[in-house]
Amino acid sequence: MGSNRLSNNIRRLRFDNGEMTQQQLADKAGVTRQTIIAIESGKYAPSLPLAFKIARTFGKQIEDIFQYEDEDSQSSAAGPDA
Amino acid sequence: MNRAQKIAWSLVIAISLGFILSCIAIAILYVKVGMPRALAGFGFMGIAGLGGFSPLIFRKDTGKVTFDERDKLIKRRAALAGFGASYLFVGLACMIPFSILGPKATMSVIWLPNIFMGTGLSLFFVTSVAILVQYGWTNKGERS
Repeated sequence: MGSNRLSNNIRRLRFDNGEMTQQQLADKAGVTRQTIIAIESGKYAPSLPLAFKIARTFGKQIEDIFQYEDEDSQSSAAGPDA
Repeated sequence: MNRAQKIAWSLVIAISLGFILSCIAIAILYVKVGMPRALAGFGFMGIAGLGGFSPLIFRKDTGKVTFDERDKLIKRRAALAGFGASYLFVGLACMIPFSILGPKATMSVIWLPNIFMGTGLSLFFVTSVAILVQYGWTNKGERS
């Protein structure tokens, strides 16, 4: 079984949205600031409802914010010769 | 650092301090007065009880949201780790004397409250360490 990782653009989106602070995003998403910090740094994968809340806060789709990467998708993206 | 981390830190410090001082006291008393009386050094474990005051010392976190899904997950995992540790402690406390002394030996019931205390301490210690490990030991990276 390959390793997988959930990356995100939350930090960039916060700054694109009027330099929103982590606390402001946390209040809008209904979580603590520590949770936003953990999500931003990739240490915590949020639940689906929380991912939706964060996406709606920025007015984006989940896929625009969170990207799921695993070994299978990376090797297929690199092609069969990789 | 949130309230759960502060409480966990105080419990880890209190229990560790109590344990270390007990070991030192037992070692000194063992040299001076011999074994049965040296166990009085365990009295220093009373320091661990001071950790019980930490929920009174640390006030509730301020802010709109103080507890969320991640806190819930961390709390659940920490409780599971603590339960596992206490189960292991009871198992070892039962099996080690049995293995050493054999099936026909007898033991004083004075060990029962000690096992009870040790089980509680292992539960609180491992739960606290699990909380600290999952949140991270420091405030590193906590900035807006």
